[in-house]
Amino acid sequence: MNTRDSLSRRTSRRTILKGMAAGAAAGAATRIHAPAIIAKQSTWDLAKAAEPYRGVEINAFFLERPGYVAAVQMIPEFEEITGIKVNHDTTPYENAHEKQVIDFTGGTAQYDIVLVDVVWIGEFAASGWIVPMDKFFNNPELADPDLNLEGFFPILLESFGTWDNVIYGLPFDNYSGLMFYNKRMLADAGFEAPPSSWQELFEVYGPALTKDGKYAFALQSRRGETQSCDSFMRMVWAFGGSLLNPETFEPNLSSPESLAGLQFRQDLMQYMPPDIVEWDHDETVQGLAQGNVAIITEWSANWTTITDPSKSTIVEDAAVAIEPAGADGQPHPALGGFSLAVNSASPEEKQAAAYLFIQWVTSEAKAKDYVINGGVSGRQSVYQDPEIRERYPYADALVESWSKYGNPIFRPRFPEWPQISELIAETGSEMMLGSISVEDGAKQLDDQIREILKDYIEGNKPRLQ
Amino acid sequence: MDRIGADRPGGAIAAGWTDEMPRRATLRRRINWTAVSMIAPAVLALLAIGLFPLLYAVNASFRLYQLTKPYLGHPWVGLDNYRAALQDDLFWASLRRTAVFLVATLPVQVVLGVAVALLLHSTRWRKLSAVTRVLLVLPIATTPTVVGLIGRLTYNRDFGVVNWALGQIGLGPFSWLGQPRPAFFVIALTDTWQWTPFVALVALAGLTAVPEDIVEASRLDTGSGWEIFRHVQLPFLWPGITAILIIRTADMFKLFDMVFIMTRGGPGVSTELVSLYLQRLGFRIFDLGVASAQAILLLVLCIALSRFYLRVFYREIEA
Repeated sequence: MNTRDSLSRRTSRRTILKGMAAGAAAGAATRIHAPAIIAKQSTWDLAKAAEPYRGVEINAFFLERPGYVAAVQMIPEFEEITGIKVNHDTTPYENAHEKQVIDFTGGTAQYDIVLVDVVWIGEFAASGWIVPMDKFFNNPELADPDLNLEGFFPILLESFGTWDNVIYGLPFDNYSGLMFYNKRMLADAGFEAPPSSWQELFEVYGPALTKDGKYAFALQSRRGETQSCDSFMRMVWAFGGSLLNPETFEPNLSSPESLAGLQFRQDLMQYMPPDIVEWDHDETVQGLAQGNVAIITEWSANWTTITDPSKSTIVEDAAVAIEPAGADGQPHPALGGFSLAVNSASPEEKQAAAYLFIQWVTSEAKAKDYVINGGVSGRQSVYQDPEIRERYPYADALVESWSKYGNPIFRPRFPEWPQISELIAETGSEMMLGSISVEDGAKQLDDQIREILKDYIEGNKPRLQ
Repeated sequence: MDRIGADRPGGAIAAGWTDEMPRRATLRRRINWTAVSMIAPAVLALLAIGLFPLLYAVNASFRLYQLTKPYLGHPWVGLDNYRAALQDDLFWASLRRTAVFLVATLPVQVVLGVAVALLLHSTRWRKLSAVTRVLLVLPIATTPTVVGLIGRLTYNRDFGVVNWALGQIGLGPFSWLGQPRPAFFVIALTDTWQWTPFVALVALAGLTAVPEDIVEASRLDTGSGWEIFRHVQLPFLWPGITAILIIRTADMFKLFDMVFIMTRGGPGVSTELVSLYLQRLGFRIFDLGVASAQAILLLVLCIALSRFYLRVFYREIEA
């Protein structure tokens, strides 16, 4: 393929993606009017809305992450206002999908408030396991007139909460990939600013910062979603590649762009810790926080750890920026996060109580409390607050990433992703270890993915991702 | 009526019973309902948590059972799942890895455990022996998940205590969990750390069953400790060792928590034992039909190995 073809193909793909994002935003915008109009007709008050559900007990599915600790701190206030008792079950991410799916398929409704990762929404929604939010938005007794769906970053509402143009969840625990770095290590090597592109990181910063047992960069690559999302897909997108052709759903990992990204990852490994293939988020954040690694690309929520004096030795030297730019001169930051949704199998009164909690904890009114408690809100307004901007230096980079560079299909959201993710995690790790070449690994994955997506490719299923 | 008399040969006739008396009545009289009522809850619980899931898995193994595709239903597919299981290269690869793990760790655990038991049995420091016996329980009692976490921290390349200790003598740092062979070695080592004490305790119980006078007599007969061990003590250990082989083999086919926490089957697939693969197939990909078929195949393999151990290693102790 010549350069012009390649460029035109890339441009076309990008145009489609931007179009999708814009369409999603427009879709979200049209949807918000319904609850607002209905709600204006009455004077709405949370305590009054919760009156019929006083004494109802609901269970929420939470993770062991800062955003959930933040929400737990807010629960007593909600319980006091509403009289609804909110229990929470804290689970490691690795077991979250399995635990919830078993609950859904067993019909046990153990959790009334369901946690939906960006890559689970297609599966949960298409299977009918979560309730379309219209049911609550159209109920004037429950819908808050200040709900303001437009106030969410459009990309978050689209990616985390929407499937096939129907809203199922409200963005709750929101991440963008950001570049965190150690200013002192960079300054000692003669750099005043972090690398602006991946190529610069490889050619200039890598050799200068990798010495004396310290490493220029760490790319979390442990087998699991960390490998498939944080490591593999990050590099595929950065060099113009993609998992699939968005129009035909044919696998695209063997394209020159995708292979370039994956080969770049292999080359960059010389500037990473030798056991990087076993590094998860914790090890990567600690690598930076303990001064062993100069630069990492991690989720925004990790700023809390990097600047916590009890966990970090670089509090004064920590800095943050947008992820480095890819081959096209644009950053392609990773996108991840969760929405909260209501379990279809829960009884009506629990569904209503669960919705009231979700609406409240993700509201604009509570966004500042949520951020101050350690969460990363998906509300745009909170990042305009001078106190928040002053206190959280990552806010500017985060807002810019979501507003300008976010990719709503960083990972496809259809129900087959967990299966594909398992395969990528396995073969991606093998590639990094050199057990299989980049080309052979990509071809093997393409073949496996083609088999999994056969129904989409043959047109038997709508091509939603 | 003298029930004891009825049980004796000819006792029934002596007690006035005839051959025509219905057998059922005899059985009814023999049932100790108090004992039955006390044992029944435990038996029912065992049936509920042991037998029912097994039967459920057997049933699932003959059906199309994709949990996340309820619209496909659960039709009977005969042996299709078993065929798919046997043709699954990844299943065989994980099974081979488990076999290597078994062969590499189990003999080491048995030899080390017996050695520790002999040391504890022969020591004159009785108090030290008593304290050590208690300490031996600690690794066994530790939750496998916690063992995995301890292992993950212990062998961490940058912060782990192993590399720190090696660094004190100028070695390393080594990438224990980041390279395939060292990672496999480390999970084998951690399993050996946790379960050698179990072997030691069982072997210790076997050694205490050896009559002291026989040991004394053999000591007078031969001065060799090895001869005493081989001909006097070892026969008492074989039943315990056979039990250990059966239990630990089954354990290794089920070994999940510790490995999952330490390496998640990685790096690559280097530590993906068969239980991790089954978990991935059953609870990540949610193909319970094929996963159940593979689990049933493992059960059959486990039973066959148990029969093999009993045939080869089990010896009745002759008085």
